[in-house]
Amino acid sequence: MMPIWTKSGEKHAVTLLKVQDCHVLRYVSKEESGGKTAKLLVGGKNVSPFSKPESAHEIFKEAGVPRKQKVTTFNVTDDAIIKPGTPLYAAHFRPGQFVDVTAKTIGKGFQGVMKRWGFQGQPASHGQTKTHRRPGAISTNKAAKVYRGKKMPGKMGNIYRTSFGLKVWRINTKHDIIYVNGSVPGHTNCLVKVRDSKLPTYKDCNKNPPFPTFFADGDEELPEDLFDEEIFQFTDPSIKFA
Amino acid sequence: AYRVSNDGKPTKFQPPPKPVIIDRKTQKEESRFLSPEFIPPRGRTDPLKYYIERKDMIQRRKVFNIPEFYVGHVLAVTTADPCASDKSKRFVGICIQRGGKGLGATFVLRNVIEDQGVEICYELYSPRIQAIEVLKLEKRLDENLMYLRDALPEYSTFDVNMRPVPRMAHEEIPVNKLQVRMKPKPWSKRWERPKYNIKGIKFELPEHKMKAAQKWSQPWLEFDMLREYDTSKIEEKIRKELSEELEK
Repeated sequence: MMPIWTKSGEKHAVTLLKVQDCHVLRYVSKEESGGKTAKLLVGGKNVSPFSKPESAHEIFKEAGVPRKQKVTTFNVTDDAIIKPGTPLYAAHFRPGQFVDVTAKTIGKGFQGVMKRWGFQGQPASHGQTKTHRRPGAISTNKAAKVYRGKKMPGKMGNIYRTSFGLKVWRINTKHDIIYVNGSVPGHTNCLVKVRDSKLPTYKDCNKNPPFPTFFADGDEELPEDLFDEEIFQFTDPSIKFA
Repeated sequence: AYRVSNDGKPTKFQPPPKPVIIDRKTQKEESRFLSPEFIPPRGRTDPLKYYIERKDMIQRRKVFNIPEFYVGHVLAVTTADPCASDKSKRFVGICIQRGGKGLGATFVLRNVIEDQGVEICYELYSPRIQAIEVLKLEKRLDENLMYLRDALPEYSTFDVNMRPVPRMAHEEIPVNKLQVRMKPKPWSKRWERPKYNIKGIKFELPEHKMKAAQKWSQPWLEFDMLREYDTSKIEEKIRKELSEELEK
């Protein structure tokens, strides 16, 4: 995470996400998947092929791509279908866009009710016998049972969570890095899924993005760094308020 | 026996001149200064992240001059402020601590203005800072002068309109071995404890209290191998990178 300053002098914290060897693996049509839209299977980060059996390598062999650590699905409209085997770059996103980021949260192991659900617990003194971090009552008398989904101690973390509506501030095309506003679930160097935001406020925010994706053919030559309009770039002199 | 010279007269034995070792290596190391925020902390982050952060820091340093300074220097910082008339603010103070790594590096300046102690934490790479001037160059015995909060206010007062003290020669920043006198206890932190390792305070506490404070000493810490972080090679690489980039 890094600080970033706007032209009005405000500071924002930014997370860096690297797009490492992403390829489209397979196209699944609407009828095949049984959903509302067609799907594209995308794989991230290259990994050694020797730790899995040959049967697991079929998808990757069809696409002509080394084995990937993570395979995710993206729901895609029919005009945005991409041929399996095309690499995906960070330039697929543009600064000023809004993005949802999904990842597995940091695993905390078996945790008590105070840490996991934020219960208040009991006082430290004034006669409490062996009861300081316990849940207390778990149901009422009339119910005569414990409801399903009652908040109790258990394994915390290591589940998929999404942060919605994160602004993309900057894109580094040379190293394929996306600068995303705020924090993102997961530990450092964990695998993360980045999607266009589904929030209704940001529906019309994508002004001419590269559609269906950014193809590094050599036709479009992008500068090494793409900045949002409001970012203070370090090539400019210090800010002066008029 | 005396040696006989060419003249025939006996001369006293002249011992050969002692070899003078000129330590060129140590001289070179002292003159090269690397700002502490460039050294990456120990961790499992990808070095690519530090490389990219350093590129941004170097870019900022090309446009705006950040002078070499240590804890104990007296600095004057002018920042842009939309609320002030003239749209800029100037603050003079002694640097008590330098923290943070990378672009978020900060330094805290302390001064006493009209009997009120004021500390301001500035970010080195913030675009709001318009100028940093070093008014007085002097290092202190410690790297963290937070104890000035509990010292008598005369040690933290610096004239706001102070003129910059000219630096004599381009070598050796002088170390001020000042022992600061403190206000009566209670202090914000127990500075007499060995964990802070402060050498710049004149402790006027009774001997039994100083001895009792040594109970919290951890003499095994300096031998702990897992805490060792040798930064010499990393520093060399970063210095090379810096000098190459700044020359461009």
